[in-house]
Amino acid sequence: MNRLKPFAYFEPTTLPEAIEILAAKKGAAFPLAGGTDLLVRMKRGVIKPSTIVNLKRIEGLDQIKKEPGRGVRIGALATFSAIEDSHLLRLSHPVIAQAVSVLACPSIRNLATMGGNIGRASPASDAAPFLMILGATVSLKGPQGERELGMGEIFSGPGTTASRPAEAITSLLLPDMASHSGAAYLKIGRREGMDCALAGVAALVTFSGGKREAEDTKIALSAVAPVPMRAKKAEKTILSGRLTEKCIREAAKVASEEISPVSDMRASASYRREVVRVLTYRALMTALQQAREG
Amino acid sequence: MKISIDLTVNGERHQVDTTPWITLLELLRETLHLTGTKEGCGLGECGSCIVLVDGRPVNSCLMLAVDARGRQITTIEGLVSNGDLHPLQQSFIEKGAVQCGFCTPAMILSAKALLDENPDAGEEEIKQTLSGIICRCGNYKKIIEAVRTASDGKADS
Ligand SMILES: Cc1cc2nc3c(=O)[nH]c(=O)nc-3n(C[C@H](O)[C@H](O)[C@H](O)COP(=O)(O)OP(=O)(O)OC[C@H]3O[C@@H](n4cnc5c(N)ncnc54)[C@H](O)[C@@H]3O)c2cc1C
Ligand code: FES
Ligand code: FES
Repeated sequence: MNRLKPFAYFEPTTLPEAIEILAAKKGAAFPLAGGTDLLVRMKRGVIKPSTIVNLKRIEGLDQIKKEPGRGVRIGALATFSAIEDSHLLRLSHPVIAQAVSVLACPSIRNLATMGGNIGRASPASDAAPFLMILGATVSLKGPQGERELGMGEIFSGPGTTASRPAEAITSLLLPDMASHSGAAYLKIGRREGMDCALAGVAALVTFSGGKREAEDTKIALSAVAPVPMRAKKAEKTILSGRLTEKCIREAAKVASEEISPVSDMRASASYRREVVRVLTYRALMTALQQAREG
Repeated sequence: MKISIDLTVNGERHQVDTTPWITLLELLRETLHLTGTKEGCGLGECGSCIVLVDGRPVNSCLMLAVDARGRQITTIEGLVSNGDLHPLQQSFIEKGAVQCGFCTPAMILSAKALLDENPDAGEEEIKQTLSGIICRCGNYKKIIEAVRTASDGKADS
């Protein structure tokens, strides 16, 4: 059996209690959410936490609810299955259910949480790209109180977030989507869903009234840089004139040139560039189609 | 550090003493001696440890036993009722969907969760549902056929 090494264990029922324990243990304590990343790294011996603080008994951290006038708030402990099944999110941000359907597999999604995905800060996260194009903000709570960080600020490097010691992610706020918007997330991995993305691309297109020029566009990429990133040059290309197929083709090329992919056991850097070009093209075309219909 | 937990396994309530670092998989196999649930990788990748928790498939190698407190667990041992095999078990036998059998409990339980929710699930949904489980014998075709036989299959016709 692949077993876990013993650790001290806490099961707080309130957030202040959890923060207090995390603060007292000064970095030796890890919060536990779905465990699909933490327990794997512990079993592999990559990390050896002396203390685990299970967040799952804290009431209310898994809620998904409308925040009138602002958008939809997703609790850090909401599982990807709950997010995928949320009627509210399917109506407000349809790209989320589409993206989550290619994140791992159903049994992992029944455990894995949104907060854990951000907390992991994986360069290959499948959640970060759609959160970035939707302009999500992350709420954190720690010994010094509460604060919010944008998706552009939350990751400080591969595997690390900008959170301060003993800070926990409590929720994410997704602003409502503008009308005449469309969005899509596409990913390529070796084993469908189950594998880390070789590259993932999320794209959003919002039309102005005339439906010829894009009023807004956002493109975010996963697995091609040390942290999930926006393809800002490609976004500029889209916003520079009429939104035609040719312009999308050009933007996809620009995106493939502004990334800094690595060659590793999964794929070579040049293959990743090519994949980003193709996926960006397809994601933008899908987003465009939806924006026209919306 | 001992923790006493209450959980229901295959309809039967259990009160067991465990430690926080014991996974649900270890509890089922080593404390409750329900060895139908298998460990392949222990890391979430192969799916052979899948059991149902409150009706939904989860990888029991990545769930702490303490998180099963108060939950309803279903393992492959719980599918037989009054000595009769579950229709999925029956169709797996009839279609030759079992080779070595190592992936079978996870395949059948995941399929059960799907069909309980959507009795006429079609092939695409069946494939999606089983996508996290590796069959080392490569018997996917017959496994999918067996689940389709047990489903009403209206979605495809
Ligand atoms: C087989 C398999 C396939 C996978 N496939 C994918 C995939 O396709 N795409 C993908 O993006 N990921 C994938 N993952 C990775 C993982 O499932 C996700 O990153 C998941 O979202 C992690 O969430 P969790 O709740 O399980 O986190 P946990 O494992 O509980 O925690 C992850 C990290 O975040 C910290 N943490 C957890 N919650 C909080 C919080 N509220 N505040 C602060 N820190 C916190 C923990 O201390 C830990 O360091 C896969 C994992 C496995 C095992
Ligand atoms: S043993 Fe749990 S997924 Fe392989
Ligand atoms: S039947 Fe042998 S692993 Fe599937």
